[in-house]
Amino acid sequence: MKNIFYTLIMCSLFLSCNTNEKKSNEVNLYSQRHYSVDKLQYENFTKLTGIKVNVIKANADELIERLRNEGENSPADLFITVDAGKLQKAVELELLQKVNNNIIDANISDDLKDKNGYWVPITYRARIVVYSNDRVQKSDLSTYEDLANEKWKNRILVRSSSNAYNQALMSSIVANLGSDVASNWSNGIVNNFAREPKGSDRDQVKAIAAGQGDLAIVNSYYIGLLLSSEKEEELNAGKSVSVFFPNQGENQRGSHINVSGIGLAKNSPNKDNAIKLMEYLTSEDAQNTYVNNSYEYAANPNVKPSKIVQAWGTFKRDKLDLNSLGKFRKEAIRIFDKTGWK
Amino acid sequence: MEIKNKIFYLENKRWIIGSILFAILLLLPIFTLLYKLIYVEGNSFKYLLENILLDYSFNTFYLILITAFFSLLFGIIPAWLVSIYKFPGRNFLDIVLYLPLAIPSYIMAFTYSDILSYTGPIQSFLRENFYNISIFFNQDYLQIEVLGIIMALALYPYIYTVSRVSFSLVGANYINVSKNLGLSSFKTFYKIILPLSRPAIFSGLFLVLMEVLNEYGAVKYFGVNTYTTGIFRAWFSMGDIGTAIQLSVILLLVVFSIFYIEKYYHSKTKFYYKTNSTIQSLGKLNRINKFLAISLCLIPFLFGFFIPLIFILNNVFLTFSSIDFKDLLQLTYNTISISSISSFLIILIALFFLFIEKISKTRVNYFISQSISMGYAIPGAVIGLGLIILFAFIDNFFSSFTFLGSFFILIYAYVIRFLAVGKSPIKSSLEKHPESYDDTGKNLGLGPLKLLQKIHLPINKFALITAFIVTFIDLMKELPITLILRPFNFDTLATQTYEFAVEEMIPLSSIYSLMIILIGSVLLLFLKNIINKQVNVS
Repeated sequence: MKNIFYTLIMCSLFLSCNTNEKKSNEVNLYSQRHYSVDKLQYENFTKLTGIKVNVIKANADELIERLRNEGENSPADLFITVDAGKLQKAVELELLQKVNNNIIDANISDDLKDKNGYWVPITYRARIVVYSNDRVQKSDLSTYEDLANEKWKNRILVRSSSNAYNQALMSSIVANLGSDVASNWSNGIVNNFAREPKGSDRDQVKAIAAGQGDLAIVNSYYIGLLLSSEKEEELNAGKSVSVFFPNQGENQRGSHINVSGIGLAKNSPNKDNAIKLMEYLTSEDAQNTYVNNSYEYAANPNVKPSKIVQAWGTFKRDKLDLNSLGKFRKEAIRIFDKTGWK
Repeated sequence: MEIKNKIFYLENKRWIIGSILFAILLLLPIFTLLYKLIYVEGNSFKYLLENILLDYSFNTFYLILITAFFSLLFGIIPAWLVSIYKFPGRNFLDIVLYLPLAIPSYIMAFTYSDILSYTGPIQSFLRENFYNISIFFNQDYLQIEVLGIIMALALYPYIYTVSRVSFSLVGANYINVSKNLGLSSFKTFYKIILPLSRPAIFSGLFLVLMEVLNEYGAVKYFGVNTYTTGIFRAWFSMGDIGTAIQLSVILLLVVFSIFYIEKYYHSKTKFYYKTNSTIQSLGKLNRINKFLAISLCLIPFLFGFFIPLIFILNNVFLTFSSIDFKDLLQLTYNTISISSISSFLIILIALFFLFIEKISKTRVNYFISQSISMGYAIPGAVIGLGLIILFAFIDNFFSSFTFLGSFFILIYAYVIRFLAVGKSPIKSSLEKHPESYDDTGKNLGLGPLKLLQKIHLPINKFALITAFIVTFIDLMKELPITLILRPFNFDTLATQTYEFAVEEMIPLSSIYSLMIILIGSVLLLFLKNIINKQVNVS
C-alpha cells in the first residue's frame, strides 16, 4: 500500500515536468502582449502553416528574468514586448540573437528597425497629448518641453511613473536633451500636475471630461479604444477631447513613439518556425489585423491605420534610436524619484 | 509500556527529521533570494532613504490603518448584531455577509473606480437629472482613503467570520451575568465580549493586513506607492535587486512586528470560556433598532458584494455577443483543477507539519511551523522569482526534462505562498482538542500515522474542509505567481480578467470575474453551512 502510494507520487511528479523532446511543429512565445488580436493572429498562422503556437504571457521584466535563468534550457523561441526598452534590455543581457531575413526586412519601415538587427518591430504607438475641446486652444500646444511651462499649472494629467510608457517617454527626453534638461522638465511637469499621477491612460481622458484637468499625456491607441467603447458616456468622454502630436515643427524632432517588437531567443529550439512567425506577423495581412483590432500603427509601411486613427492625421515620428529607451531607463526612473513624479 | 514509548519516540524522530527537511525545501526559494543579496554590487540604501522610503512607508502604514479601521467596522458590528439580536432578515444577512470574499480586491478596485468615475452610472445619472448635485459629486475618487475603504469591503469577511464564531461561543452566560450587574448592551459588548474575542479578531485582522501589504494591482492603479510596488519598481524597472530585497526585508519586519504584537497581547490575556451548550436566546429589538440593525448589516453586503456584482453583470450583458463560451469553459476548468489540486496538497502538508508539531512538542518543530508560514508575507512575484532562480540552476543538471514551466513549479509556489492560509483553520481546531486524546492513542499503541488516521482526521474533519475552501478561494484569485510561473498556453480566470483589465477593457473582463465570483460564492455558502454545524452558532 505504502509503495503504491510513493510510486504514484513519483509518477505524477515526473509527469508534471516537461520533457525536452523536440517537437518540430511548434513555436514557443514569451509574450508581454495579451490583446485579443494576438490570439487571432496565432490562430491564423496555425491555419496557414500547421505550426502550433504556444504562449506564456507575463510582464516583460519577469519574462526576461525567466529567460535569463533558463539559459540554454529555455524553451522560448520568441520574446515579444510592447516596449523597445525591454528588447534592448534583453539584448544587453545577451538573451537574443540577430535575425537576417530578407522578407522581414522588406516588410517593415527602415526607421523603426533595430540598428543592430536583434529585434523586429511589429507595431508602434505614439505617446501624445490629448486636450479638452472647450478649455484648450490647439494653437497653445507645441512640444513636450512646452508642457513644463507655467501656463499649464494645475492642468496636466498623467499616470504614474511606474508605468513603462512614461518611463520610455522620459528616457527619450534624457536621450534627446540630456539628464539636466530632463530633470528640469520633470520638475516643471510635476508643478503643473492637476492631481497626483494615478489611474490608467483612459482615466486621464475621463478626468479631462470631468474637468479635473485640461490636457493629458496618453498612448494613442487608448483613445481609439475609448472611441469604440460599448458605453455611451465613455464615447462622449472620448469625443470631448482632441488629439495633438507634439514636436511637429520644422526643426523639431517629432512625437515620441515606441514599438511593440519581437526578438529571436538566443537558444531558440524551433528557430525556423520562429522566423516563419516573424515573417507572418510583419506581412500585410497580419499587419492589417493588428491595426483594425488594437488601434496601433503598423510597422509595415504599406498598411494604413484604422479609420478612427486615420482621422487624427499623419505625424512625424521621433527618429531616436529606440534602443535608447532601454539604455536610459534607470536614469529616467531616478529623475522621476528625485522630482517627485509618483 | 516502556518499549511502546521508545518505539514511538524513534518513530517520532524520523518524522521530525522528515519535517525539517521538508521545511527546508519550502524555504529554499527564500534562501536563494537572500543568497543572491550577497552578490549585489553597490549600496542603494542611501538612494532608497533619500528619495522614496518615507513616502512608501507613509503610504503603506496609512493604507493599513484605513483598511484595518473599516474592515473592523464592517466585520465586527454586523457580527455582533447577528450573533446577539433577533431581527428580520438576520439569517439571510448572516449568509451573504461572507460573500465579498469571493471578489478579488483588484476587481473590486477596478469596478469601483469605474462606478464612481465621471462616465460611471452615478455621475452620469446625476448629470442628466440633477445637474447641480452632480457638480458636488464630480470628484477625483482615486484617493488612498477610497482605496482603503474598497480594500476593506473586499477583506472584512476575514474579520466577520472569526468575530461571528467568537461572539457566539462567548455564549449567553457572560451576557446574562453582565446584564445582572447592570451593564447596558453596549457596555456588555465593549467591556466583555470584545476583549474576550480579541485574539480571534486579531487573527482575522492579521490576514487582512497581509492582503493589503501584498496587494499590487489595485494599489498601483490608485497611484499609491507601497513597499510592494516599490519592490517591483526597484527590481524590474531599475534592475536593482539590492533595493528590492532591502524593501522586502523591511516588509517582512513590518509583518513580524504585527505578528509579535498580536502574540504579546495573546499571551498576556488568556481567557477560558465555556462554549454555549444550549442555544443562546437572542435579544429583542424595538422597531427603530431593528431598522438600524438591518441597515448596519446591509451596508457591507450591499457595497461589498451586491453593487459590484450588479455592475459586473451589466458589463457582461453589454459584451454578451463577444463572449467566447468555449474559452470560458476551458478557463473555468483550468482554474478549478489547479486550485483544487493545490489546495488539497496544501492541506495535506499543513496537516503534516501541524501534526508533527503537536505530537513532538519540541521547540524546533514550533519554530519550523512558524517559519513555513512566512511565505504568506512575501509578494507572490518575489516567491516566483526565487523559484525561477533556484530551478533554473537545478535544471542545468538534467538534460531530459525541465522543472521550469511545469505545473510542478506552479504548485510548489502556491504551497509556499498559501500554506499559512490552509494552516490556520486546522491549527485552531487541533488546539481545541485535549491532549488526552493523543495520550490515550499512544497508550493504545497507535503510531503517528494511525493516530492521525483514527483520531485527528475524523475529529478535525470540518476544519479540514474549511481550510480547503478558504485556500481554494485564495488560489482562484491568485495572480502574480500564476502569471510568471505558468506553463505554455495555461490561462486561468484570474489571468484572463487581469489581461483585459490592465488593457483598460474592463467590460470584456467581466464574464471572467463573474465566474470567479460565482464559484467563490457557492463555496462560501457551503462553508457557512459547515461553520454553523461546527460551532453550533446561534
